[in-house]
Amino acid sequence: MLISVEIPESAEAARAGLQSGALPLGGGTHLMARLNDEAAGDLRLVSLRKAGLRGIHVEGATVVMGAATTLADLEDDARLGYLSRCVRSIASPPVRSLATVAGNLFVPQPYGDLAAALLALDAELDVLGAGGARREPLERIVTGGLPAGELVTGVRFTAPAPGTFRFHKASRRRLNSGSIVTVAARITVEDGLVGDVRLVLGGLGRRLIRATGAERVLLGAPLTAETVARAAEADVIEPVGDAYASAWYRARVYPVHLRRALLGA
Amino acid sequence: MPSTIVTLTLNGTERELIARPSTTLLNALRETFGLMGAKRGCAQGGCGSCTVLLDGRPAVSCLIPVVTVGGSTVDTIEGLADGDRLTDVQQAFVDHFATQCGFCTPGMIMSATALLDRNPDPTRQDVTEAICGNVCRCTGYEPIITAVLSAAERRRDAPQSPATAGL
Repeated sequence: MLISVEIPESAEAARAGLQSGALPLGGGTHLMARLNDEAAGDLRLVSLRKAGLRGIHVEGATVVMGAATTLADLEDDARLGYLSRCVRSIASPPVRSLATVAGNLFVPQPYGDLAAALLALDAELDVLGAGGARREPLERIVTGGLPAGELVTGVRFTAPAPGTFRFHKASRRRLNSGSIVTVAARITVEDGLVGDVRLVLGGLGRRLIRATGAERVLLGAPLTAETVARAAEADVIEPVGDAYASAWYRARVYPVHLRRALLGA
Repeated sequence: MPSTIVTLTLNGTERELIARPSTTLLNALRETFGLMGAKRGCAQGGCGSCTVLLDGRPAVSCLIPVVTVGGSTVDTIEGLADGDRLTDVQQAFVDHFATQCGFCTPGMIMSATALLDRNPDPTRQDVTEAICGNVCRCTGYEPIITAVLSAAERRRDAPQSPATAGL
């Protein structure tokens, strides 16, 4: 049961509102669905809708998105065309108009496809804690979570050079479905050899996976089907089974989707 | 936390309601304002039967605590027709038999209306994407897609009558 919703008008007021154990509410597309199930206990929320955390700023190659920027805002922004495929693979338009950038970082797998893309782009988070504002690598938050009472106020990353960002998602339906396998990668190829690569897997495990084993195989190697097949064997992945796909199926099709993500075929 | 007064511009008219923290926009529409067009289907944001326009964008009203959207503009299916005069999208749904049981229809029409307001010349793929969050268990979607494409065509031929004229 939802017993209170604060609607602060600044990030600092929102952070203060979290000190009593309340949870931040972005678009509510995950949290409110749980509440409607009546499965949750008493809950207090702090809505970020009016906290001034919505907006996209691009300066040179640096992109900064406010925490409460919606996925629809991303979809509309021509400067973020490289994220279009990812964003449009998430839920549906009436959900994307509510769902927020920061909210996507904290939804459980097999959702959180934007988080996979942002992790591949080595994003940093603007975090507001008791000691003030600081930056944290998204990777640290994905692994260790965010301390209670702290608030993500924004996400920043360096825009990928043209043609260096890959996103591929396999799902039960072509649109509006949780992930079976999501592959997000930033990869540069020079003279046929992989010069730089950062590879993130979503949908497979309980958390997003940074595929460092695959990255090592790919680095400096020719970007061929053979290399990608070896890369797909390089990480210990313990897939989960759910209503979208069994663990067996996820493990079985992961190499196929890694190949499609990196080679397009 | 006590109830609070929330103001909305609802179908073009400023309205107020007293809402508990747990009151969703969908509950407010149905129980306070008596607008029964938006339906409670899954209450998970998955079926789209509660879709309304929130500040011009389609949104699943079941997932929104109404206290968080005070000051917003909300448009529902009830605000579309001008008396007996249907909008082009509504008329196209009638003409192409795009409704059967009707449960999904209000949400479907709001998603379609939002699409055409932003993209007057949609492809079939655009229509499919626009309604991918609206589940229909009767029609098999084909008549709906045909209706939306037909409404777009009609609107291009008569651009003076947009679907949301009068909103």
